[in-house]
Amino acid sequence: MTCLEVRELLPEHAIGVLGEPDRERIRRHLEWCAGCRKEAGALGQAAATLAFALAPAPVPEGLDERVVARVRRAAGVPGTRRRVRTAAASLIAATVAFASLGWGAVMAGRADRFEVRAEQAERAQHAAIERFQTVLSQVIPSDSVSSSDTYLGQLTPVAAGTGGGFGLQLVSPEILDFVMVIVNGLDDPDRLPLRVWLVNADGRELRGGRIDELDANGGAEVYHEFKTQGLGGFTTVNVVDRAGEVVLTGTIDQSS
Amino acid sequence: MSTRPDGPLLAREEQQLVEGLLAGNEDAVRALYARFARPIFTLGLRLLGSAEAAEELTQDVFLAAWRKAARFDPARGRLSTWLMTIAHNLAVDRLRRETGVTRPHLVLVEEVPETEWVDEEEPLIERDAAIRALESLSDAEKRLLARAYFGGLTAREIAESDGIPLGTVKTRLRTALIKVRRANQDKERP
Repeated sequence: MTCLEVRELLPEHAIGVLGEPDRERIRRHLEWCAGCRKEAGALGQAAATLAFALAPAPVPEGLDERVVARVRRAAGVPGTRRRVRTAAASLIAATVAFASLGWGAVMAGRADRFEVRAEQAERAQHAAIERFQTVLSQVIPSDSVSSSDTYLGQLTPVAAGTGGGFGLQLVSPEILDFVMVIVNGLDDPDRLPLRVWLVNADGRELRGGRIDELDANGGAEVYHEFKTQGLGGFTTVNVVDRAGEVVLTGTIDQSS
Repeated sequence: MSTRPDGPLLAREEQQLVEGLLAGNEDAVRALYARFARPIFTLGLRLLGSAEAAEELTQDVFLAAWRKAARFDPARGRLSTWLMTIAHNLAVDRLRRETGVTRPHLVLVEEVPETEWVDEEEPLIERDAAIRALESLSDAEKRLLARAYFGGLTAREIAESDGIPLGTVKTRLRTALIKVRRANQDKERP
């Protein structure tokens, strides 16, 4: 699509009346064409003006709480982690929750490289989700998950650290318990190897795996199956560096 | 997380809010809601025609904003524009998806009735500026933009309806948007 063709469609693109095929073609063009992107931004701002000119209508009572709850649930923030009972639901929940993987930390303090980092992290995220889906389909037989419990929790950096991650546990009376941890945005290879520890309320620790290398996005994943030990109560997940310092930490809420 | 209660947001503040949204930070979500839920809901009401659909749209917009938050770049445009673009696209997509739903009722900007509701707890920061910007347009230009933006009509549909060349409609749309854009430049963020 040439700039001339794009420019001809940009007014309708800004107004939002183009069909999906044209929108997608324009979106791809705008990814690399700064000139058209600038024009699209200007026209888009002008079009949005129309919406703001409308006489305001009263917003339904309680909508704010519903919006907040929905975003927080999607973001998988503490206190709203979801507990699901089927493999399909687990997968959906995990996929949704993965969308928040480490983003805040990746973005923090990196305004100058924000876009690059965000794109890298997004690609890494998609790859992580695909790997996760593969693992999940392998470890959870589809006919034996009805009574299984899968729990998700977000890992966040300590102090001024970077990165983020996610932990998933299967705690089931029928299937061997396992934990899977995926991290991203860790940019200091000198802290390798990283070890994953699961901790219960009594301070008892279980090894959850070891990370010996990070990919280009500072990401890695570790999976550990527990043949003799159930994971019930081991809700704290710590990712610790070679010096024993906690890099990422989070809580997996196993309560219903 | 705190932002000034009124006045345009600084680019830094917009980025902070979006980062907070991405992390599911409650304060950030509430701050965004306080500023933008009302115009989003209003737009949904105008385009979709019912409070129920407008509420669903409002929730969908904030969720979509969370999903797209990593792509938001304050250097490329304002947060308000970004959110309203998401809202408009979602609403138009919904109208196209749903069978049996007629085109949104045509509402010309200057004909939008004022509601009796006047209890504005949060200032509608953008509205005065928007109205001023639209004053730069002729009545014909306002009507043209409204038919496209609120009526969901493409340039081709307008051209066929009015019996004028497609190129003419496209040119007029672009001219009108550029006029609004120029008027908007007077209210750029500090």
